Amino acid sequence: MVRKNRRYITLFLVPTVALFIVVYAVSLVILFGTSFTEWSAGRKPIFIGLANYIELFTDDSNFRKSFLNTVIWVFLQSTIHVAIGTVFAIILNLKEFYWKFARTVYMFPNIISGAAVGMLFLCLLNPDFGAVNSIVRSFGNADYAQNWFMDYATAFLSVTMTWLPYAAVVTILILAEIAAIPESLFESARIDGASEMKINLYILIPMLRNIIGTCVILAGTSMLQKMDIIMMTTGGGPGNETMNLPIYIYKTALMDNNFGYSNSVGVFLIGFGLIFVLLCRNLFRIGSSHN
Amino acid sequence: MRKSLYKTSCILASTLMLVMSISACGSPSASENSGAPANSAPSESEQASAAPVTKAPVKISYLTFRVGTHASAKMEEEQIKQFNAKYGNEVEVVVEEIPSDSAYEDKLKILAASGDVPDVVMGKNGINDLLIKSNLATPFNEYLDKDPEWKAEIGEAAITANTRDGKVWSISDQKQNIGYFYNKEMFEQAGIKPAQTWDEFMSNNEKLKAAGFIPLSLMTGENAWTTNLILGAIVGTNGDAGNSFMNTLHPTDFNTPEMIEALNLMKTMLEKYATKDALGAGYANAANNFCQNKAAIIANGPWMIGDFSDPTKCSEGFDKKVGVAAFPNNSMVSTYEVGYMIGAKTQETRDAAEKFIRFKTGIEGQTIALEYGNVMPVSDEVQPSEELRQKYPLFVESIAVAQQTEVHYRNFDAIVYPNVTDAWKTLYPKLVFGRSAAEDITQELTDIAAKSK
Repeated sequence: MVRKNRRYITLFLVPTVALFIVVYAVSLVILFGTSFTEWSAGRKPIFIGLANYIELFTDDSNFRKSFLNTVIWVFLQSTIHVAIGTVFAIILNLKEFYWKFARTVYMFPNIISGAAVGMLFLCLLNPDFGAVNSIVRSFGNADYAQNWFMDYATAFLSVTMTWLPYAAVVTILILAEIAAIPESLFESARIDGASEMKINLYILIPMLRNIIGTCVILAGTSMLQKMDIIMMTTGGGPGNETMNLPIYIYKTALMDNNFGYSNSVGVFLIGFGLIFVLLCRNLFRIGSSHN
Repeated sequence: MRKSLYKTSCILASTLMLVMSISACGSPSASENSGAPANSAPSESEQASAAPVTKAPVKISYLTFRVGTHASAKMEEEQIKQFNAKYGNEVEVVVEEIPSDSAYEDKLKILAASGDVPDVVMGKNGINDLLIKSNLATPFNEYLDKDPEWKAEIGEAAITANTRDGKVWSISDQKQNIGYFYNKEMFEQAGIKPAQTWDEFMSNNEKLKAAGFIPLSLMTGENAWTTNLILGAIVGTNGDAGNSFMNTLHPTDFNTPEMIEALNLMKTMLEKYATKDALGAGYANAANNFCQNKAAIIANGPWMIGDFSDPTKCSEGFDKKVGVAAFPNNSMVSTYEVGYMIGAKTQETRDAAEKFIRFKTGIEGQTIALEYGNVMPVSDEVQPSEELRQKYPLFVESIAVAQQTEVHYRNFDAIVYPNVTDAWKTLYPKLVFGRSAAEDITQELTDIAAKSK
């Protein structure tokens, strides 16, 4: 029976494994292999050893800035973004009269495509006719014309605000997890005289450890592929102020036509992502039961 | 267990047979996004079915960004429609629409890297270089030699512009003569005329500002098109060195006095005379600012003329307010578009691709482009119709202005590497916010050009 099951398990795993090999594994091997080459479209790859990696770490200020920005965004997304989503979920869990309406409205930014969100913010923050500047002008400063996306003082923050507060996915996941916790636990705590704040702090949030860890991974890794909104709003500028690793990969590959170098940045990005996921798994002890 | 396995196998086998039979039935008449006419004339169909052996049209693939609200969308649609009417039984153009210029460029670069480009390619913004380097393009020399009439229709100058080492890699379908458009009412109220020198141009800006108008509709987002046309004009009219720079393909050293001087002048224009949203704005913002009477001047080509009388784009009666002028020093951007390349791999598809390109770039194609897209033809034989002259007198005026100019140069997009074109949007804010001086920007441009592979 066990042998038969093994046969079926193997049979059902074959399509997934084959798909993974064709779509990801082969691509990863090519990516890794070509990161050690000088390769541009129209030319054959030439092996150059670690030259691309040495240049990345010693002689590329754009890469350093892109990496720094990516780290900051991963950090902000896996902390503030997740915190916002969690707090919102706990508030919605009170099941006040507005909770379904608020949950739906909060979801809106997540169902609009990144490019559309970029366009929306371009209009909202337009120095001339944007709503934000118009509101400031209505308070008496008629000449106010802040260029939110292009001014060095505000560009990074403006781009960050296009995604940081909209944590509906975190909220939905946490709400689902809360629904799975037996109500009797909270009732016992209430009978023992615990306030709602104490219940949330000492019972609810510790019990959400697994799902919060998962949300941190999802939110953090989403910043490793963030490109559409940045392309729509700043293109990585002013200078390299809002450049991140995906934008840098795009520019080195498609603008500089330097695929070998671009792939070395890609390998670095994947490595960084793996380390981040492993760190989160260990930090949140994802998969282990609540003790 | 065995029984259920047998049952599952039977179900799988029946499903497979069903799928295969459906696809077998569907494949011959599968609908595709084809440029071929949907309804062939009955007589032709009957003839085709009656003939014992009829050769199916050769399918060629063609990607285009001239779709939707693009200024040349109507022109593209009409050219394909008329080609299909004439050659639809020989060549079937399978059109894939790409929503923007930059998306088209990105897609073509990725396709070139994988060695799988469409049969007909527009070689703009470095795509021609990629295809030539990758050995993916077929030169036109033999085709042109076989058809001297077509060669004459394109003209020697346009052919030379796209020839490298004796090989004609692309066929240009249009000439770009670009100066600037201005709002005549605003000019009149400010008491100015189009400038003859750059000093006068700056003085005009000051007078327009004093009269309560925003002088320039600039944009530094995307490829900084309207801004760079003026920047290129300043460089191109700055003596022989500047003019030579603006006529050099792929300049590698931007550290020139002419570039530094032009960037400093542009910094002043962006700081003092442009709309508030110029930094980071796209072409749509700049065009809108001019069309909605917010700015007095926009640098752009004659293809924009149709927009001036389009009530969805410009205010009512706006076309009557617009004048056209050459850049100072009696100069104009004058360049031939890269045009179309053959990316097809087999002789049959190459010939079909050439037929499509011949139509688009020959007299018929140029005429359609002129009438539907206000595009300047490469051949002198193609003249605007009386209807076009009546509808767009500004277009006729722009031809007259172009004919009077003496100094010519190309635009930045036509000469620099693609990574330089992409860099402007991040460099202009640096210049304007004082993070870098013009000298630093030219050094950065030089470094960026050196990175292009």
